[in-house]
Amino acid sequence: MAFATIGTKGIEDAAIATADIADNAVTSAKTSGIPVRPNAAPLMINGSMEVAQRGTSTASITGGGFYTADRFGTNNSGAFIGTWTQTQESLSSGDAFNDGFAKSLKMDNTTANGSPAANSQCRIDYNFEGQDLQLLKHGTASAEKTTLSFWIKATKTGTNIVKMYKPDADRSCSIAYTVSTTDTWEYKVLNFPADTSGAVIANDNTTGIQMSFGIAMGSSYTSGTLATTWAADASANAFVGQVNNADSTSNNWEITGVQLEVGEYTSATLPPFQHESFGDNLAKCQRYFVKIETGGSSSLEMAVNKANPNNYSQSRGVYCLAVPMRSGATTTLSGTVKAGYLGGDYSLSDQGFSTVAPTYGSTTDRVNIVSTYMNQSSNNSQNSMIFTLQASSSLSLDAEL
Amino acid sequence: MDKIEDIKSVKKCDLLFNPTNTIYKVTDQDNNIMQVPNDLNNRHYKIILAWVADGNTIAEAD
Repeated sequence: MAFATIGTKGIEDAAIATADIADNAVTSAKTSGIPVRPNAAPLMINGSMEVAQRGTSTASITGGGFYTADRFGTNNSGAFIGTWTQTQESLSSGDAFNDGFAKSLKMDNTTANGSPAANSQCRIDYNFEGQDLQLLKHGTASAEKTTLSFWIKATKTGTNIVKMYKPDADRSCSIAYTVSTTDTWEYKVLNFPADTSGAVIANDNTTGIQMSFGIAMGSSYTSGTLATTWAADASANAFVGQVNNADSTSNNWEITGVQLEVGEYTSATLPPFQHESFGDNLAKCQRYFVKIETGGSSSLEMAVNKANPNNYSQSRGVYCLAVPMRSGATTTLSGTVKAGYLGGDYSLSDQGFSTVAPTYGSTTDRVNIVSTYMNQSSNNSQNSMIFTLQASSSLSLDAEL
Repeated sequence: MDKIEDIKSVKKCDLLFNPTNTIYKVTDQDNNIMQVPNDLNNRHYKIILAWVADGNTIAEAD
C-alpha cells in the first residue's frame, strides 16, 4: 500500500526500524532537499537587520561609520559622494516581507552626486572575524566556495557589485548582480569561487573577510576589469560596472536577508535563511557593540565604586558585560553620570571608562569588564558610591571590526 | 570617528587612582568625546596611531 494511502498517522511510532530500510534505498536524490551545513549557526550576524542598537535612523551621512543595523557599516570615503539618510525600515509588504523579513537597512540619497570624484566611494561593509571563517579553508587546496544571497530593492536599475576582500592575503574577488526592476524587492544569489592561493585567513579576532556592497564608486574603483576570481587586490578591478546610486535624490538602496553559505548553490538549492530569536541575534551583536541606556526618566545604577582611601573624591568600580566583547572597546557617554550615595548624589568633574583585553593568559578577545572611574569636584566622606547613569543617558561600547 | 581627519585632539586620560591601563580621550570635529583603549585590535586606536604618524601629538594628562 502506498504511503499516500496509509498516511503518516497510520504508522505507529518506531514501527519502521533502521533494519527495515535497505542500505541503498535512501539515495542522494531523495535527500537533496535536506540542507547539510558545516556551520551550526549562520556565518552572518544580523543578516535579517533586526538589531539596531545605535538607533533606527541617521540623517546627513557623508562619512563612514555604523549608524543603524548592527554589524553593517557604512564606508563613505574619498571625496564627497553624496549625503545619505540611513534607516532601519519596518517591512509590511513585498517579496522580502513575504519571505519572512520584517526589517531592512535602507540608504536614501538626500544630496546627489552625478559625477563622483575618482577616489570617492560609498558602500555597505560587513566584516567577519577570521576565527569564524576557518571552515572556508582559504589558502589551502581544500578551500571552499561560498554562496551569498540577499534581498535587494533599489531605485536605480543596472549592475551592482559585491566585493570580498581578505586582509591577511591582500586578495579580493568581486561578483556582479543586476537590479532589474526599480523599487522592487529582488532575490539575488551570488557564487564566490574558492581561493586556494595566498595566505590563509588568520585564526584570530581580526577581520578575516570584508564583504562590501557597492552603492556608488569613483573611477579609481571601476576603471579596470572586474576581478571575478580571487586575485591580488587591485582597486581598479573592485567595482567595475557599479551603477551610481548617488546620482539622484530620488534614489534609495535597501537590503535584508543577507546570508552566506559554505558551498555552491543556486536559488533552487540554497538552504533556507537561518532565522534566529531576537535575543540570540542581539547577544551576537553585543560582541561588537553594546549600548547601556536608561529608560525614560529612570536612572541606571551600574557599579559600586570604592573610593581611593587617600582621596575620597576619587573612586573606581567595575561593571560586568553579559557578552564578552571582541576587543577593548571605545566608550562614548551620552548624557551624564553621577556618584550616588545614601541620601544624595555628587556631580562629577570627570569620569572615565576602560575596557581593555585581559593581560593574563592568551585571551585577547574576551573583554567583559568595564572599569568605571569617577572624580567629584569636592571632597566627600563616602568610601563607596554608586556609579549611576542618569535618566536619558547612555554608555556605548564599540569593539566593531 | 572613521578617519584621522575626524580627530580634533587626543589626550591621555588620567584614570584617577591605580590605573591598570592607558586610555585616550578623543575629541572629534563635532566635539564629541570618546575614550579609546590602548588595544591594537580597536579600530579607533589604530586611527589614533595613524593620526600620530601623520605628525600630530597626543596631549599628556592633566
